[in-house]
Amino acid sequence: MRYATLIALMALLPLGAAPAAAHATLDRSDPPVGSTVATAPSALTLTFTQNLEPAFSTIEVRDERGARVDTGKAQVDPGNRRLLRVGLRGLSPGRYSVRWRVLSVDTHKTEGNFAFRVGR
Amino acid sequence: MFRVLLCAAAFVAALIPATDALAHCFVGARFFPATLGIDDPCVADELSLPTVAMFKNGDDPSARQTDISGEISKRITETFGVSFGTTWTHLRPPGGPNASGFQNLETSFKWQFLTVPEREFVMSAALEIEWGRTGAQSVGAEQFNVYTPTLFFGKGFGGLPDSARWLRPFAVTGQVGYAIPGRRSTITSIDTDPDTGEQTIDAEYHPQVLVWGGTLQYSMPYLKSSVVDLGLPDFFNRLIPIVEVALQTPVANTITSGTVTTGTINPGVIWAGDYFQLAAEALIPVNRASGHGIGGLVQLHFYLDDIFPRSIGRPLFGSSSSARAGGY
Repeated sequence: MRYATLIALMALLPLGAAPAAAHATLDRSDPPVGSTVATAPSALTLTFTQNLEPAFSTIEVRDERGARVDTGKAQVDPGNRRLLRVGLRGLSPGRYSVRWRVLSVDTHKTEGNFAFRVGR
Repeated sequence: MFRVLLCAAAFVAALIPATDALAHCFVGARFFPATLGIDDPCVADELSLPTVAMFKNGDDPSARQTDISGEISKRITETFGVSFGTTWTHLRPPGGPNASGFQNLETSFKWQFLTVPEREFVMSAALEIEWGRTGAQSVGAEQFNVYTPTLFFGKGFGGLPDSARWLRPFAVTGQVGYAIPGRRSTITSIDTDPDTGEQTIDAEYHPQVLVWGGTLQYSMPYLKSSVVDLGLPDFFNRLIPIVEVALQTPVANTITSGTVTTGTINPGVIWAGDYFQLAAEALIPVNRASGHGIGGLVQLHFYLDDIFPRSIGRPLFGSSSSARAGGY
């Protein structure tokens, strides 16, 4: 009986995986994570592995003094709900830290942070 | 009657969370994968099936041992969960005879009592119970319960300064448990001297054992998403090289067991997907009493919270502290 239960569980689980959604993790960023870009970007775009709930998905971008340099509310791209974008005020050369928090459509929340540099 | 049922239904509905939280082991930006030699420090909805270990055990002479295990973990609330597991063992001693059968069933009650996302730090406490007489004596299953209160922790190094940013993907986890057998000793034989009538009683004493270990892991997913995106292929960005250490030290009632520490060091790698992870590790015994030669360990592990996010993959009761409260 225990053998049968184990075999049945193994057979069923991969089938159940198909329609689900998982945690939204950061797939890529523009500017890229840890990069140095020559010119100041006008926006930060994060691409996640799952579709996002716009109401609870945020990005904060701060300069080396801790001041916010994003333009406010991050927007989920209506045409691609894996994209989260926030505008950036004119960035001067320096290091910028990004903190994001998102809620995937299956209600899992994830968060992360990274930095990028402009200029020097 | 109808109103009572309605109230009861409303009460149950209120207990079911509108939103779920982190589930498998995310602590801030850190993901702690399920580990094989020791348990990870979180409460989660997950299924490890199968875990297959092949090695030469510590018997003298060594027997070839194959263990096939399964374990399912279920969150009751956001921070409290229960796990059930068992292992099927096949023994091939040199010269035979072979033996096979199930080890005792195991149940674990775990409470994740501390989670500090910004410090990538988590702690939990568990009571693990091995239920005696539920396995086969021919493969060594004990005839008594064993109770093991255990503390777990996990810590990521994401807070290191920029000058050490390549070390940020490192994390450690650990556990310390104390296994208390439900029986102090078992009489193994009674011999009666035919001349004097005196009886000689042989007994095996069941020691209380410190069960301890840890992991050191380097998270390529963390490197990519929090330190620097090197543009590596997705396969490499999902790897977590790891070294696990799983040890047992008898510390009390050691009359027949001795006090030698046994265990293994397990270098390996975990590939973490969206819905499941695969892991492979070598089993290197720390001494002859722990085994002979290098064995192997592989595991397929399912994230039930991601596979079934709206049914069995979420806690039975309680709501999360996530977005429902109006943001982060």
